[in-house]
Amino acid sequence: MAREFDHLFKLLIIGDSGVGKSCLLLRFADNTFSGSYITTIGVDFKIRTLEINGKRVKLQIWDTAGQERFRTITSTYYRGTHGVIVVYDVTNGESFANVKRWLHEIEQNCDVVNKVLVGNKNDCPSRKVVVTEDAQRFANQMNIPLFETSAKENINVEEMFLTITKMVLRSKLEMQERQNVTANDIVNIKRTKTKHVKKCCQ
Amino acid sequence: MNHEEILSVVQEKFLSSERVTAFLCDAKVLQPDCIKKDRLLAIVEYGDEKAVFCLFTSCYPPKSFTDLSIEIVLPIDNSFKCEIDNKPSDPEAILYLNLQSRNSKFKFEIQMTPRVDNFVDDLFRGIEAVNKLPTQPEFVWLKKYIGQREDDIIAQTMVLPRSGMAHTQVSAPVTIRESLIKRKMSDKEFEYTFTKRFTIFCGTWNVNDKSPVIPLKAWLCVDKEPPDIYAVGFQELDLSKETFLFDQTFREDEWYNAVRSNVDPRAKYVKVEIVRLVGMMLIILIKEKHMSHVRNVVCDTVGTGIMGKMGNKGGVSIRFDLHNTSICFVNSHLAAHVEEYERRNQDFRDICNRTRFVQANQLPKAIKDHDQIYWLGDLNYRITELDPLSVKKMVNENNFAPVLEWDQLRQQHKINNVFAGYTEGTITFKPTYKYDPGTDHWDSSEKNRAPAWCDRIFWKGNNVTQLAYRSHPALNISDHKPVSALFTSAIKIVDEEKYRKIYEEVIKQLDKLENELIPQVKVDVTEIDFGTVRYLELQVRSITIKNTGKLPVEFEFINKMDETSFCKEWLIVEPYKKCICADESCEIQLKVLINKTSACKMNAGTDKLYDILVLHLYGGKDIFITVNGTYQRSCFGCSIEVLVNLNIPIREVPVGKLIELESKRDQCISNQSTYSIPKEIWFLVDHIYLHGLKEPNLFEQPGLHSEVLQIRDWLDAGSIDPIPGSIHSVAEALLLLLESTADPIIPYNLHPVCLRACANYLQCKQIVMELPEFRKNVFLYLCEFLQEALQHSDENGLDAKTLSTLFGAIFLRDNPNVVQEPQSRINKQIIDKKKAQFVHHFLVNDHSDLIFSR
Repeated sequence: MAREFDHLFKLLIIGDSGVGKSCLLLRFADNTFSGSYITTIGVDFKIRTLEINGKRVKLQIWDTAGQERFRTITSTYYRGTHGVIVVYDVTNGESFANVKRWLHEIEQNCDVVNKVLVGNKNDCPSRKVVVTEDAQRFANQMNIPLFETSAKENINVEEMFLTITKMVLRSKLEMQERQNVTANDIVNIKRTKTKHVKKCCQ
Repeated sequence: MNHEEILSVVQEKFLSSERVTAFLCDAKVLQPDCIKKDRLLAIVEYGDEKAVFCLFTSCYPPKSFTDLSIEIVLPIDNSFKCEIDNKPSDPEAILYLNLQSRNSKFKFEIQMTPRVDNFVDDLFRGIEAVNKLPTQPEFVWLKKYIGQREDDIIAQTMVLPRSGMAHTQVSAPVTIRESLIKRKMSDKEFEYTFTKRFTIFCGTWNVNDKSPVIPLKAWLCVDKEPPDIYAVGFQELDLSKETFLFDQTFREDEWYNAVRSNVDPRAKYVKVEIVRLVGMMLIILIKEKHMSHVRNVVCDTVGTGIMGKMGNKGGVSIRFDLHNTSICFVNSHLAAHVEEYERRNQDFRDICNRTRFVQANQLPKAIKDHDQIYWLGDLNYRITELDPLSVKKMVNENNFAPVLEWDQLRQQHKINNVFAGYTEGTITFKPTYKYDPGTDHWDSSEKNRAPAWCDRIFWKGNNVTQLAYRSHPALNISDHKPVSALFTSAIKIVDEEKYRKIYEEVIKQLDKLENELIPQVKVDVTEIDFGTVRYLELQVRSITIKNTGKLPVEFEFINKMDETSFCKEWLIVEPYKKCICADESCEIQLKVLINKTSACKMNAGTDKLYDILVLHLYGGKDIFITVNGTYQRSCFGCSIEVLVNLNIPIREVPVGKLIELESKRDQCISNQSTYSIPKEIWFLVDHIYLHGLKEPNLFEQPGLHSEVLQIRDWLDAGSIDPIPGSIHSVAEALLLLLESTADPIIPYNLHPVCLRACANYLQCKQIVMELPEFRKNVFLYLCEFLQEALQHSDENGLDAKTLSTLFGAIFLRDNPNVVQEPQSRINKQIIDKKKAQFVHHFLVNDHSDLIFSR
C-alpha cells in the first residue's frame, strides 16, 4: 500500500468553445456544476484517483481553451497525452461538425492515443439538434466510443471517464506485454533511444 | 528566519532519532534533469548511517515541515562519491557538487556561503565513517522515505517523480498523501469494521531446565471451548552454558512439540511464530481457519541479563495483525533475587524501549504501538516484609489477600513504576514458586524463602476481558508451577464493502484537497488592446494577477513551442516572473514600443501587432494573454526603394499596396519610380536648408521628442502647413528617418569593402558609384547638403569631422540581426573611425563628377 499510484495518465479534453469541457471536468473531479459560463483562457488541470481492478490510477485531466485563436498554442499541450476526450454540444450542430477538425488536430499532434467522443448538454430533448443516430454512425465510422453526457445533470460523466481510463490502461498493459515479448531482441536499440529522450525539460 | 529556525523546520520533517546534521539552501539540480527552482539539501544521520536528502520547498524559507517534500534520497554507503568543482565562469561564488550513489549521479549547483564548508565537511565525515565500518549499512530507516519502491532501496535510484511545468507531466505531488490516507482510514476505522470476540489462551512456565517428560494437557487443555489463539511462554528452558553462549538448544523442539501435541485436540492449530532467546521461548498458535487473516508477523528479542544485554534475562516478543487489530505478545524473564525489584522494573522498561518490530516500508513499531498487548512470564517479584512461615501458613489456608499486600509487583504496579497502563486479574491461586521439584511442597532448601507469585500475566487494550487466571499445580516437574489466563478479546474485522466505500471517499477527499492546492490565480484582463500604436511612441498597459489559491504561487511567462522568447520583440513585460503570496496581487506592465527593427517588419507585413503570451503557474495551469493593437504605418521603417514610389502620404497608401511594394523593393528601377530620392528626406533637408543652415549646434543639439513625433505625423499624413517644431527637432527627425530605413544607405555586404577602402578616396568613390541607385542618390544628396552646411560653420559650429562621424554611423550602421563578436572598445573605435573617414572624403572633396555621371 505504500505507493501513491500504480499508473499516472494524462487525459486531454478538447472541442469547440462553449461545449462544456470545463463543466465535464468540474463534475468529474469535484462533483460540482456551475451554471455561469466562464470561458477557459488557457489550459487548466485537475486530478482524480480511481481504483481499477485493484490498481490505483491517478488521472491528470487537462482542460483546454476551445477558442479558434488558441488552437496552435493548445496543440502543444497534446504532447504526452494518453487519452483524448473530444466534446461537442448536442444542441449545437456546428460543434458536432467541427469534431472532424479536432480529430485531425489529434492526428497531427499525438502518436497513437485513445479517444472518446462526447456529446454534452444532453439534458434537454427539445433543444437537441445532433441526433444520437447520426453521432453514433459517425462514431462507428471513426471507431471511437460515443457518450452522450450532461455535466449539469450528472448523466454518464463518470462512465465516460471510466471508459477512457480503462482504454488507456488496457493500451498500456498491452504495450508492456508486447515489450516484454520483444525485450530480449531490442535491448541495445532501446538503450540508445532512451538516452536521447532524456532531455532537460524543466 | 535564521539558519537555526530553518534547521528546526527541516528537522521536523524527520524522526527525532534521525538528526539533520547539516543543510544548504539554494541548491539547483543540474543532473540528471535540470530543475530551475531551488532545492534544499540536507544530511541526515541515523545511528551510524547518513544520507543526503534533496527536498523541494513549496515556499521559501519553509515555515513548516509540510512545505518540504523529499525528492531524492542518497544513502552515504561504500559506493557514495562526492566531487566538488568550481563553476568555471564564476569560481568564487558557485560550486558544483557531484554526488554519486550506486548507479545514480547527481549534480547540484550551490551558492558559496560560509555554510557550504560546514555541509561539505559533514559530508566527507560521513563518507569516511562509512568506509571504516566493517559491514555495509542497511539503511532500513530510509525505506519509509522512498515509499513507492518495493525493492531493496540501495539497488535503486531513489528519485520521486516531480516536475514543475504545465508542459511536462505531473502536478505538485502531495507526498504526504499516503500517510494521510492511512490516518484518515484509521480515523474512520469504526465505520468499516465490526468486532468479533476471539478467545486467547496465555500460558507461562519456568521449567527450570527440565524436559517435557509429563503431558501438558492439564495446563493447555482445561477450558470448555478450544481457544482461538495460544500464546505459550517458557523460561529457563535450558540452563546449560552452551545455550547461554551459543544460543542453541534441542529443548526448543522438545517443548514446541510438547505444546503442539497438548493443545486442545478439538481444533486444528497452526504456528504463527516461535521465538527464543537462550531460555526464553514464546510460541503463538492460531486456529487454522484464522491464519489467512494473520499478517505482518514480526518478532524481536531483548536481552537484559549480564552487562544489560545477555539473554539469560530479558524478553521475547511476537506481534502480528489479526484482521484489523494489532496484537503483541511478550514473554519475559526479569531479574532474580528478592531485593532486586528495582532491577526488575528497569528490565521491564528496557524491554519496552528496546523491542522494535521492523517491517519493510513501515516505521518500526514498539510494543506500545499495538491495540492489544499480552505480557506473560517469570517476572520474579517476591514477597517482602513478611516472615516466610506466616506466608506459608496464610497461603495454605487460601488466605491470599494479606500476602498479596506485600507482593512487590502489586506495590510497584500501584505506584506505576512498572506495567503502567496494564491490568492484571485477581490472583486466586497459590504462589507458583518455589517448590521442591516433583512435589507440591514448598522449597525445603536452607534458604527458606517466602513463596511468591513469580509467574504472572498482564494485558493492555480495549475490549479485553479475562475469563480465567490460574495456576496448574499438577505439573510439578519444575520448581515453578505453570500459570495461564484465558481472555476474550474483541478483534476488529473489516467489512470489505464498507471499507471500499469509505476508502473511495477518503481518496476523493484527498483528490479534492490536492485540487485545491493547485495554484490558482485570477487575471483581471486576458485581452489587451493597445489601440493605435505609432512609431517610437511607448504605450503601457497593466494587468493584475491575484493569487486566489491557498499557497504561494510562482508565475512565469514561458516560451511557446519552437519560439526563443516568450513575447515579440516590440513587447516588454515586467516583471515576467515572480512569486505571489496567497491573497496578494501583482501588477504586470506590458509596454509596446515600435522601433526601427519592428517597424520594418510591420510595414513589410511580416509581423503584426498581435501576440499571445503564456502565463505559466508553477505546478498549475497556463493562462493565455492576448495582446493586440493597430500599427499606424509610417515612413519611418520603410525602405528607400518603397518611399521613392510613394507620391502620396504613407497613411493614404492601402496596407496591401505597401506590403506589395516592400516585397518587390529589390526590383525597383528608376524609370518607373516617382522620385529620385524619398520626398520625406527632401522635405526635411529642404527645411533645414532654407531655415536652419545657420542654426548654432545644428545636428548636435537634440530635438524634443514630442516635436519629433509631430514631424513624424506631418510626414506620414501630409499637410500644407509648414513642418512643425524647431530646427533641432527636424534635424533629429532626419537622422531618425535615415537610421530607420529597412536597409542602411550602404548595404551591409559592402561594409567590409568600405572599411578597407576608407583611406583611398578613389576607391571610396568607386564603391559609391556601384551603390543601388536610390541609395546612391540619397547618399550624394545628403553629402551635397552637408557640404553646404559646412559652408556656414562659422554660424552653426559644424566641422567635417563631427559630421562624418555622425553620418558614418548612419550610412554604415551595424546589422542588428548579426550577432557581433564581442568587440573590444579599441576595435570598435577603429571601425567607427574608418566609417567616419569614408564619409569624410565626400564632405571635403568635390564629387560633382559623380552626380553628373547619372
